[in-house]
Amino acid sequence: MKIIVAIKQVPERDAPIRIAASGKWIEEADLQFAMNEPDAYALEEALQLKEKHGGEVIVVSAGPERVATTIREALAKGADRALHVVCDDLADRDALGVANLLAAAIRPENPDLVLTGLQSEDVGLGQTGVILAELLGLPHSTLILQVEKTDGGIKVKRELEAGWFQTIEMPTPAVLTIQSGGNKLRYATLMGIKKARSKELRTLNAADLAASARAVVTLEQISLPKKQKSTQILPGTGKEAATALVEKLKFEVRVL
Amino acid sequence: MMSQPWTLAEPSHFSSAEQILFAVLAILSLALFWRRFSPILRRILASKKDADFHLAPVGKRIRDFVWEVALQGKVIRQRPLPGLAHAFVFWAFCAFAVVTLNHCAALYGAGFLDPHSPVGIAYFYFAAIFALACAAGIFGLFIRRFVIRPKWLEPFSPESGVIAGLIFLLMVTYLAAFFVQPDGVAGRALWWVHALTLLAFLPIIPHTKHLHLVLSPFTVFLSRGGFSKIPPLQGDEDFGLVAGKDLTQLASLQAYSCVECGRCTEHCPANNTGKLLNPKQVILGVRAYLNEYGPQSEEALLGKHNSQKAIFECTTCGACEFQCPVGIEHLPIVIGMRRGAVNTGEWEDEHGAKLFLALERGSNALGISATERDKFIAKNALPFYDGTQEYLLWLGCMGAYDPKGREIVLSLVRVMRYLNVSFGVLRKEKCSGDPVRRLGNDLVFQQLAEANLEALAQANTRKIISICPHCVRTIQEDWKEFGTPPPVEHHSEFLARYASQLPSVPNQEKIVYHDPCYLGRYRDVYDEPRAVVAHAGQLVEAERHRERSFCCGAGGGLVFLGEETGERVSHARARELTATGADVVGAACPFCNTMFQDALAAQGPNAPRLLDIAQLAARGLPETEAGSVK
Repeated sequence: MKIIVAIKQVPERDAPIRIAASGKWIEEADLQFAMNEPDAYALEEALQLKEKHGGEVIVVSAGPERVATTIREALAKGADRALHVVCDDLADRDALGVANLLAAAIRPENPDLVLTGLQSEDVGLGQTGVILAELLGLPHSTLILQVEKTDGGIKVKRELEAGWFQTIEMPTPAVLTIQSGGNKLRYATLMGIKKARSKELRTLNAADLAASARAVVTLEQISLPKKQKSTQILPGTGKEAATALVEKLKFEVRVL
Repeated sequence: MMSQPWTLAEPSHFSSAEQILFAVLAILSLALFWRRFSPILRRILASKKDADFHLAPVGKRIRDFVWEVALQGKVIRQRPLPGLAHAFVFWAFCAFAVVTLNHCAALYGAGFLDPHSPVGIAYFYFAAIFALACAAGIFGLFIRRFVIRPKWLEPFSPESGVIAGLIFLLMVTYLAAFFVQPDGVAGRALWWVHALTLLAFLPIIPHTKHLHLVLSPFTVFLSRGGFSKIPPLQGDEDFGLVAGKDLTQLASLQAYSCVECGRCTEHCPANNTGKLLNPKQVILGVRAYLNEYGPQSEEALLGKHNSQKAIFECTTCGACEFQCPVGIEHLPIVIGMRRGAVNTGEWEDEHGAKLFLALERGSNALGISATERDKFIAKNALPFYDGTQEYLLWLGCMGAYDPKGREIVLSLVRVMRYLNVSFGVLRKEKCSGDPVRRLGNDLVFQQLAEANLEALAQANTRKIISICPHCVRTIQEDWKEFGTPPPVEHHSEFLARYASQLPSVPNQEKIVYHDPCYLGRYRDVYDEPRAVVAHAGQLVEAERHRERSFCCGAGGGLVFLGEETGERVSHARARELTATGADVVGAACPFCNTMFQDALAAQGPNAPRLLDIAQLAARGLPETEAGSVK
């Protein structure tokens, strides 16, 4: 199976965010960057499929020079090779503009499967994967927790609301957007980092890809969330309250 | 010729047949010894070179050798009775070297100690005293091994009985020779039995634990030095102890030096609480591996002879390494195997992966957002270090994020403010890397060490103070691989210096001090925290204390690895601390503190309260409004 994983580099979760003077993006100067978490789960799913069925895992990422560190990390975790679409205007593009870049890079590879996180941790639109499927002319499914290979294609498990799941069979090639938490992520190893050095990392220039940057959605303004505190008393007996608390921690706060 | 009474009987003439017979038997004995010993020597020498080994400083090596080998200091100090018994056997062997040479030389008329000359009489009596002590010693050791049978001497070892018998026979035949005629049948028979015992002894040495007779003096002399000294990885193909090819000469030498005394296992917190880990079997596992696969093998070390599960149960408390009388350094081997398993991704553990991922991406081992540290600093108005203050106050993950750790830091801050000692904290601080270092993740450890070294250098750091012995050790020793860390001290050392300037505490409660492994055995700091405790109350000692202190169970990254199998180490220790009847447990490590919170609570309503020495030191200070914790 030839699997492409589209990953995005986003500011580290801990990063202190400041709004840029333009009001349209954040100040990137002192930030540390890391792999978008849902993309890390997409990569993990791809690596597990490869370990089970053989094949190749190729990561693709669009962004400036600094994105290379995140690509190396993906290679260290086990991806076989990588494509880096070098562009400095990622924040100016809308989801269609980014998907145009990714589609142009992915198309010549003719993959069996394209995986990506269901959304990014910075803008969180949840659109790029779906638009990418449309551009590639492939069927897609979103919010995927598990992928299983079948004779004719794949069987996927989708997360629905309120603890419900849906299982779908679909043909390949296909595009899937992956939900966090379906697998356990693997840690990076020294051996992986050393092996990654000799793996192929091909850079593609965004300008050469004939990928339109024309935006259909324009970002007007960004702002920091308003700080608000709310206290909620959970009624009932200790046992009932504890059950309600676990529910909330699991499904609302998502810390369990 | 009549012998004078009470001199050593030595036959005055031997026949040619006797001379030839002995020569043949001696050659046979030596040949057998060599046949068994030379493959072992080859395996040790064919192991990988220790790239970081330096003979200097030789003075320290000589001192250690004199204390540990010649004077048997460690052997006796840590197990007085069996230790003395062993020391007498050892000293008797040394005294007997001359006797034995003379014994053989006499056969060929070349004896140099005349039993009738004053020198001969003096020396033989001197040796006889040791022979008596040795015979008594070996008898005692025999009783202990085969009648008392402590669990750490397992498994049952019949050769040890044979060896004890041979040593006993050597001494008895020597002593009996003082009571017989030299040229009578008895005198000659004693000479021969003594000589044959010697010849029988030699070939048994190489394949039993008695190989330590030959190897351990070298092992002690050539030790890596330091405590838990973890060698830097060499080149691109070194991931730690993955296979036999990664075992170094010192590791192999140590594996063959093990005398199977089981002191390591006797003191191992994991082994004592029902876990799989048995440090003696780890070392013997390496020996068995070398015997089966050899030193250059690609076969994985964690497999047939050592278990991954056991290796990851180690708290790295170092009781084993501290105790070992033959110079085996367990920690570089245990941590080396963990490195091999983690650096190659072989180790799969849900909690371990979570810790590694938290430190790959974030700043702290607790996986909490770094902004929480910023808030804590702002809330308590802790100044930032700018190179002008005396101390850089290193918060560490526990001090910056853990509620109890924060209380400890704030108590220390109160004391420092009271003493007018200036300090500041780093703007951005990452985990020192202790848990990943001990768990064998070199990738993350290097990233953390380098980032911190850079941050400290940029802040022009002159001196660091920390409430965490794990941070102190890691900063001072382990970071050296990647740069030059500023000098660092534990707050107990600081507080002890200033104890006399702190207001005294009127309420003299009984306080039992628990030695943290990383402060005691790792740093040799025992008296300073006791001075702080003694200032705040009446110091009492737990049954196991100082060098023999029993771990809290948190070290080696284990505090992050989820539930233990068997009894919790912290509960075993909390029981011991409670049994002292103390009102307060004085801790000096935020990890011990976090372990004991739960473990002491489990001891019931009469359990002592738990305070760090910083909190004890701050007890007598006037109340300020800056005591709140957020």
